[in-house]
Amino acid sequence: MAWRGVLGLRLLGSASRSMTRSSINPELISVAGSAPPSRHIAVSSSLFVKEIIIDTSDKQTTIEGVYKESDRTELLVKTEHTECGSCPLCALQLNLKHTDVLVLSQFLRSDGCMLPKRITGLCNPQQKKVTQLVAMSQKAGLMPNLAPSWSKKDPKKRFGSRKLNRYFDEKTIKIKI
Amino acid sequence: MSAARRVQQWATFGRMWYLYDAKWQNPFHTANKIKDYLTGSTKPIYHPLNDCGDHVVVINSRDIAMPGIEWEKRVYFHHTGYPGGASWTLAWELHQKDPTLVLRKAVYNQLSKNLLRRGRIARLHIFPDDKIPDSILQNISGQIRQLRPVPKRLDHYSEEEVKNFPKVFDWPREYIIQ
Repeated sequence: MAWRGVLGLRLLGSASRSMTRSSINPELISVAGSAPPSRHIAVSSSLFVKEIIIDTSDKQTTIEGVYKESDRTELLVKTEHTECGSCPLCALQLNLKHTDVLVLSQFLRSDGCMLPKRITGLCNPQQKKVTQLVAMSQKAGLMPNLAPSWSKKDPKKRFGSRKLNRYFDEKTIKIKI
Repeated sequence: MSAARRVQQWATFGRMWYLYDAKWQNPFHTANKIKDYLTGSTKPIYHPLNDCGDHVVVINSRDIAMPGIEWEKRVYFHHTGYPGGASWTLAWELHQKDPTLVLRKAVYNQLSKNLLRRGRIARLHIFPDDKIPDSILQNISGQIRQLRPVPKRLDHYSEEEVKNFPKVFDWPREYIIQ
């Protein structure tokens, strides 16, 4: 769904095209003579990184979609190995631990699920390793805010032995990188 | 004895009261460290008959951490002496009933199995949280360093810190952030 963009239209060369907000706008649904556009329907408002709506009102209302720069580009880590198109973690050679929450949380969605390889850009063994580290970190209760909406977001509210503190040994992850 | 000699005598043979914060520490590794202080093995004047052991005050014993699935796998055996009086209690169940017992038993089992053990374990004071009686708090004269680094939760970082932390990869062009 992410590939096809909001309206389900193919990517065109030009940057701007008409699009709608994710929350259903009644004015735009009923267009005479045409089928309603297939849209990415989100229950909550989703954050579109790359599109902006610009409305100008004279006698005309134009809705324009413009690609926006992501707010991450300045914060990217750049070393001599990161620019050559390799897997980012292999290039950085970090000795990741399950307690490195600030790094591991970058690979998660807001509900605690892992992002796929095509988004993270990691190679196969690194993706598996990060998945296991994230699982360790979640079991240790170190990322309670990145959890599904129905969870209690507090490790102390878990049941039985799960509410107690635990730590993990990263050497138990046997993945050859 | 001159005054200087007297002070030196007190300094060498005086009993120390150490504080140890057990938050996020492995109870068995800490027990290994604490037993050295209880027996007095860290002192150059050590002798088993010298009664040179120190007091150790442990706080936050409710927040000890065990590796992996140890909480579910470690079992404490107890027999009342009567027939059918055997019981096996899991570590997490024991911890829920009394949060000081896991650490106390760990230290007790690490001490040497002689008649001095009872006296040494009596000098260990364990508290489940950081509330200590004033009489003990006044005695504390030193602190034992923690063995494992205490991890920081993601929601304990400020929003700015999380936002400004260097990022490892950039979003692809057509990605919807979820």
